Amino acid sequence: MNNLFKKIERRSASIYSQKDKFWLIVWFGILSLTLIWNILFLNKPALDLVIEGFLNTLYISALVVILSFILGWIIGLFVARFETSRFQILYFVLTFILNIIRSIPQIIGILLGYMGITYLITANILHNHWLIMTTMALIISLFIFNEVIDLIRERVNHFRKLDFYNAMKVCGISENRIINFDILWKNSRIHILNKLIAIFGSAIFLQCTIDFIISVGLSTQVSSVSLPTTLGSLLAKIDSKQDILAIGNTLMNPSYFSHIFFEHLQGVTVAFLIVFTLLAVYKISNGFAERNRL
Amino acid sequence: MNNTGLSIHINDGLRTLAHIDNFSFTMNKITFLFGESGIGKSMISKAVYGLLDPNELQIKINDKDYQNYLDLPVTRQIKQNGFFVFQEPSSHLNTLLKIEDQLNEGAIDQHLDEKTILQTLWDTTDDDTIKKIIGIYPRPYRPSGGEKQRILLAMAFKKINLMLQPSGSSSFSLFVFDEPTGSLDNHFRNLFLQLLFDKFSRKQFTSLFITHDYSIISRIMNHHQNMIDAIDFKELARSDSGKVTLNFFSPEQYLSWLKRIQKIPGRTDGIESPKSEVLRIHKHFRIYNREYSIYSDAGCNHSTDLIIHRGEMVYLKAGSGVGKTTMAKILMGLQPAEQVEFEIAGIKISEQSGPGVWKKSIWGKKMGMVFQHADEALNLETTVKESLDGLKNKKLRGEFLKSKLEELFEDKIDDEFLSKKVKYLSGGQKQRLNLVRTLALDVDLIILDEPLNGLDFISIQKTLDWLQEKQRAGKAFLIISHNEEIFENLIDSNRTYFLNFQ
Repeated sequence: MNNLFKKIERRSASIYSQKDKFWLIVWFGILSLTLIWNILFLNKPALDLVIEGFLNTLYISALVVILSFILGWIIGLFVARFETSRFQILYFVLTFILNIIRSIPQIIGILLGYMGITYLITANILHNHWLIMTTMALIISLFIFNEVIDLIRERVNHFRKLDFYNAMKVCGISENRIINFDILWKNSRIHILNKLIAIFGSAIFLQCTIDFIISVGLSTQVSSVSLPTTLGSLLAKIDSKQDILAIGNTLMNPSYFSHIFFEHLQGVTVAFLIVFTLLAVYKISNGFAERNRL
Repeated sequence: MNNTGLSIHINDGLRTLAHIDNFSFTMNKITFLFGESGIGKSMISKAVYGLLDPNELQIKINDKDYQNYLDLPVTRQIKQNGFFVFQEPSSHLNTLLKIEDQLNEGAIDQHLDEKTILQTLWDTTDDDTIKKIIGIYPRPYRPSGGEKQRILLAMAFKKINLMLQPSGSSSFSLFVFDEPTGSLDNHFRNLFLQLLFDKFSRKQFTSLFITHDYSIISRIMNHHQNMIDAIDFKELARSDSGKVTLNFFSPEQYLSWLKRIQKIPGRTDGIESPKSEVLRIHKHFRIYNREYSIYSDAGCNHSTDLIIHRGEMVYLKAGSGVGKTTMAKILMGLQPAEQVEFEIAGIKISEQSGPGVWKKSIWGKKMGMVFQHADEALNLETTVKESLDGLKNKKLRGEFLKSKLEELFEDKIDDEFLSKKVKYLSGGQKQRLNLVRTLALDVDLIILDEPLNGLDFISIQKTLDWLQEKQRAGKAFLIISHNEEIFENLIDSNRTYFLNFQ
């Protein structure tokens, strides 16, 4: 028995020292407790909405990560190759386009993208639930993937200055292999993974912000009701707004505090899920960087 | 410490960095310590000197915590009375302080015959030359690597002079020189040795001299016979258990091998035809607004084209920092020149040639190059197998790959070795992998920039045998190396060229 306790203690200490793993466990743990609490005390329709909103938000954010990664890697490679090629014009054209995208504030860019989605929905071109979410993810990715390109360019340019890049080149090893395998896969995947964790957090934040804004009204025909439910749109619902106001009420009337967790669960849960998930992703990202000495 | 083996175990929490059971050196003697790079010479010496941080590394000396060793009176004396000349002089010098001020810091803040030391190390009687060097703040390339190294040596000699004074401390002192001649050409290296032995003759002290330069042995045997009794030659070697052992190194072993080296005639048929030419470099070229020339004589009087035929080994000599590696990089298309003309296996190249020429026709096809620092030339994060996977030679797979590696590695190559990360290889193994990667290519000419870097004596012999075998098979080599003694024995003097600029 003693040995078992010691083993558990050692294991716990080891996980606690690896902050990214620790926060991942904390995130899952708290989410599970929140779910159990909501199953016990939240009405069924509201519970279904919260679960759907949370899963949709995670789905879109995960897709943003994947799309940003693919777009960033592919375009990053083109930039890196054009940078040293004879066709400098291609390099300038590509970086010019990327800089134009970069110059648009993310929220404005995504809002404009959502206007496009609104148009496609009203024109009855886009009506599949999953396709709408994928398009939403694609639009968010377009305004985030520059971060992946910047990282890839930085890593490639750093390694190009080192002898191993030239030493491999003069052995006839193809530049594609040197960049993709030796520089990015073997020497930068931890950096890229860390960037993707940060992008996951940014995607949740942007999504919730935009969904909250558009829920106020983007079109007379299309409203947040026409778009898939997300945590952002759920937060903008009148029920949730009242729940959030109830939190404010407890400041003046502390005895009301206990009611919040039973009678205002939808809004409180949605707000908590957004804030706590962002905090957990932030902690995971920092812990990951610390553990890998980035 | 005298004749008593120290057991030293250094671990960084993940793996053992150095583990030796019998590290020792004799008091009042100079111990020359050889061994392949990465075996732990510097780290062990730093541990003995008391320079490692017990909070960063897990260190045991004679099975006791390092802090106990640091608290010993003898360790304190070592630090107080001795000096440690670091391998990388830039890391020792403070960029925010003028060199002349750094030469007078701490215990060496007295005159201590500084002027004579500096003049000896720079082989000059001109004060202005010295003032120009020490009157500045150190920067990455200013002063040069060789000059920075001599500045550190000057500090060490001032500390030695302090000990030599009648009022000097009589307690134990240790002077460690970690690769002190790595950036010095033979002339300045010899001046340094002379000064070191002169000081030692006045009063014996204990010194540890870490080096890869085996030609120091010849220098001592030929010019400092009187010192032989005061010198030990030792070599660190890795045992099968992974531990490092310290063995006596016999100077005769090196000297007799040197005599046995046989040169391979340049051309087997004795006829040099333009067809057999793999490289011809025009005798003059220009880089960084400097006019460079290639000469056939050491006095740099007769400029000539540098020509290499199939099956030839050609030696390119020049002082430190003159531009040998730069020239190699120009040949490989890695650096532009303002004016240059050369022909590689029938392909004419000039300063006008675009980078596509090398990519399309030369790299991995006509010519290859082995870079001087294996640590920087290899991708440390890949496995041994992955580091050879991208080569054009598609035959380099499975058993054939193993047999190619076995040509240069002493052990049987198995799958475990192939899947080992390059960063976990010893310095010597990395250098051999660096060589194998380029020599496995089916090319006409290979440029070898310091091919013996980081190798121990056995590996040096094996590498040179291997290179000669390749030479016999028709490969041509252009050698750039500081190991003048070895390559002068290996390559005909008429196949030696000299590089200089005006």
